Order: sequence, then C-alpha cells, then structure tokens
Amino acid sequence: MEKKSSAKAKPSFEKALEELEKIAERLEDGSLGLEESIAEFERGTRLARYCREKLDEAERRIEILQKGENGSVEKRAVRVKPDTGEIDDDDDMQGSLL
Amino acid sequence: MNERSYSVSEITRMLKKSIEDNPEFTGVWVKGEISNLTYHSSGHIYFTLKDEQAVLSSAFFKYANKNLRFRMEEGMSVLALGSLTVYERRGSYQFIVTQIRLEGVGELLKRIERLKKKLLDEGAFDPSRKRAKPFLPRRIGVVTSPTGAAIRDIIKVAMRRFPNIEIVLAPAKVQGADAAESIVRALDELNRPAHGIDLIICGRGGGSFEDLMPFNEEPVVRAVLASRVPVISAVGHQIDHPLSDDAADYAAPTPSAAAEIAVPVKSELVEEIEYLSIRASSALASRLSGLGERLDAIAALRCFRNPREIVAMRELSLVDLEQRMTMALKEGISAGRQRLLSLPDLYRLWKTEARSRRSRLELARGAVDKLSPKGVLRRGYSLVTDARGRVIKTVKTIKSGESIGVMVADGSMGCTVNTVQREVRGGKEIIGKG
Repeated sequence: MEKKSSAKAKPSFEKALEELEKIAERLEDGSLGLEESIAEFERGTRLARYCREKLDEAERRIEILQKGENGSVEKRAVRVKPDTGEIDDDDDMQGSLL
Repeated sequence: MNERSYSVSEITRMLKKSIEDNPEFTGVWVKGEISNLTYHSSGHIYFTLKDEQAVLSSAFFKYANKNLRFRMEEGMSVLALGSLTVYERRGSYQFIVTQIRLEGVGELLKRIERLKKKLLDEGAFDPSRKRAKPFLPRRIGVVTSPTGAAIRDIIKVAMRRFPNIEIVLAPAKVQGADAAESIVRALDELNRPAHGIDLIICGRGGGSFEDLMPFNEEPVVRAVLASRVPVISAVGHQIDHPLSDDAADYAAPTPSAAAEIAVPVKSELVEEIEYLSIRASSALASRLSGLGERLDAIAALRCFRNPREIVAMRELSLVDLEQRMTMALKEGISAGRQRLLSLPDLYRLWKTEARSRRSRLELARGAVDKLSPKGVLRRGYSLVTDARGRVIKTVKTIKSGESIGVMVADGSMGCTVNTVQREVRGGKEIIGKG
C-alpha cells in the first residue's frame, strides 16, 4: 500500500532523500524479514533513481525578462560566461528594465 | 497722466529679466522643508520648500531628478540647488531645482526608524511569517540590475554549485528615486505563477547609504512581504541591513551568499544518494550472507559424521547427498553474496536494470527456501528430538535407553537409544550401551 502511494504521488526531492536514508537505516538494523528487506531495497533503488532524475531535470538556462510590444513581458535566454557569471549579450540591458 | 505705462507682459518680462539675470538667484542652495509634494506622471516633481515664515514654489524636472538617489517625502529637510525663474503666464516665480541633498543621513535614518516601528507594530517582521525555501529550487528568480556586480556574482556562484541551474532575471533599477517602483514591478512579475519561480533573490551590490535606500522604501518592503514566492534579501555588504532584510524570508549578507543559500551543491547531493544506496545494498548483502551461514549450520546439523551407524539411514549414501546439497546451496548463495559484497560490483549491481537485480535475488531466495527443515526432510533426512521435543545436536546429553523422537518428511517415530557413540579425533568413544 505504502509502496504504491509513494511511487505515485511524486514526493519532493527532500522527502525522497529522507525516505532513502530511512530505508538504509531499516536495512542496517536488520529487524526486517528477508522478503521485507528485499522489498525495501527495491523501493530504495527506485527512490535513488528518482532523486538522480530530479537533479538532472533542469537544464542550464539563464533568462532575462523584458518588456515586449504592447506592454507584455517576454523571456529571452542569454548566454553567460560561467567563470565570471557575466551576461554575454549585445543588447542594451538597461533598456530591458521592466 | 504723462507717465509711461507698461503692458502686463512688458512688466513681467522686466521682472523676469531682473530676477533671472541676477547671479544671486542663480545656482543657489536653499534650505527648507518639503511640502505639497507631487510626483507627476510626466516624471517631473513639484513641491514647496518652506520654513517658518515663507514658502517657495519649486519644480524638479525629469532631466534633473533622474539622478536623485532617494524618494522625496513630505516634511523632509533638504538642501536644494537651483535658480529662480519667473513663469509669465501665471505671474509667479518658481525655484527650478537641479539637485537635492538630504540635510543629513540622520534624516534618512529617522525615516527608516519610523517605518520600521510601524511595520513592527503591524507584526510584519514576525518570525512566524517566514516561509521555508525549497530544498531543491526548480527555478530561481532574481531582482537586481542587469548590469551590476550582483547578478554576475549570483550566476557565477549558482552555476558553480549546480551546473544545470535555471535563473530568471527580472531587471530592475536598484538606485535612484524610481528604483523602488522598478523593484516592486520586478517582484510582482516574478510572482506570476506562469514563470514557475519557486525562490526569489532580491538585492544589489554594495553602495553608499543613499544607494541602498530603495531597499528601505515602504513599497519595496511591502512587496517583499506580499511575495507569494519565498524571498532572500541580498543587499550590499555584510554591514548593510536594510528593511528588506527584515521583511524577507531569508537575509543574506551579500548577493554571493544569497546564491549559496538558494542553491544546493549538486555533487554533494549525488554523493549523498550514492552513499545511501551503497549503505542499503551492503545491508542487504550482509543479511543474505547471514542467512547463508544459518543454512550452512542447518546443513551441518543434518549430517551425522557416520551415517551408516544410524540404523534408519543405514542404506542411504548420505555423504553424497550432503555434498550435493551443500554444493548447490553454497553456489547459489555465494554467487549472490560475492556480487553484493564487493563494492564496485555492488555499485554496478545498483545501476543495472531492476529486473536482472530482482532475478538474482530470487535465485538467492530460492536457495534459502530449499534449506528450510521441511525441504531437507523431503530429501531423506530426519530430525531427531529428545523426550522434551528439543532437537538433539549432540550425543553428550543422550543416554542409552532414552526415548527419542525421529521426524521424517511424512511423519514421526518414537525410538529407544541402543548405543551412544561420540566421535572424537581419530575414532569413536563408546560412552554408553543399552
């Protein structure tokens, strides 16, 4: 039961990591039966995979908001220099103030 | 009535000339208190400078006030630099201001204190109002100048910690009279759910006390308080502590520090996951290996050293059976155990498909099932118990003539012990005879 609900209702990264830690602890204290141990281990495997996926989910993207035509706000992706964090953009950015 | 008369225009023009050409009225500093203040939509600021005895109508035009670093307020004591002009159409004179200074920082501090007290009384800074930031933010919004040092520092630190970070910059003016308004607009924009922002950093790099004033302005403080998304305030250096710090959910000493608060270190999280995974699989491995040892113990229990001496089993080639059984078991268990116990293999095991991992575990589990006492009995072994039903593991407690029980797969027998022999190194010692 618990297995099903936790797999379906996508937990937050933090919750999933906490759960994985609890599983490692439960397996280590050795109080579970063999069947349960294997079930917990498999749940841990799924949680670890889920956490890794969460970390890789985002794509590096730096965007700047600017006023578009007719007062709407648009997003524009910009390049940055990773070592300095400088925005590598030709446009006059003061002009992009909202 | 021979005297010369002037038209209204003429006399006004003369007055204008005499005032505007008088160097005493040009480029002068006037000290006074602001009243009747109007920030006009055109960008011009109109107000009256006054003291106890007189008033001076003043105008601070857009071209001149764009460098003003604070927002003017009623009752503020200022020094205004400007020149007197005459506005002919109205028949009035006006002080055209080119620059305004606060009479002192003390004036600003007093204003901040007043606002702070008001907000404190409202409970706006209560710790209970603070929201927790997301542990792993999905997308971070930043309110600051697009050209300042703050955005560079934030991007640099955030990308170092989490290379695939998503940042949305809402560019804002962070100093000057219209900065507050610009910051409020940017905060409101980032709060729109469409942007998917779950954490906002709002701030700027270091500057003079007046430069940081927008972050003490009531509209900015209120916008931070009203933000749906948790806010980290990041203004100036360590020593600066504007009201936006009090209003925000987190106050960072600098923009770089804000990025550190906002963004976890990805490699540390990856390590944490691996560490927990290895702990889980090691624990399972040692559990399997523990079960294996118990199996070995059960197997040994079944195997009497001299099976031929036992009447009931005389005809069976027990040694052969035992060897075949234990070999099969050991192979099954140790294959699983070895894989699990060697760490690089564990790691690989973790990474392979869940299916193959499961089937390997099933294999080990199957071996375990085979070893349950019942299974062993089915293969021709028997279980011997004493009169009280306890499994006999040693001949030491058994005497000749004693009643014992023998359990086989399909039933049990009551027997009497004829002889008891103990195996010692190199031979047998008869310790009892019936």
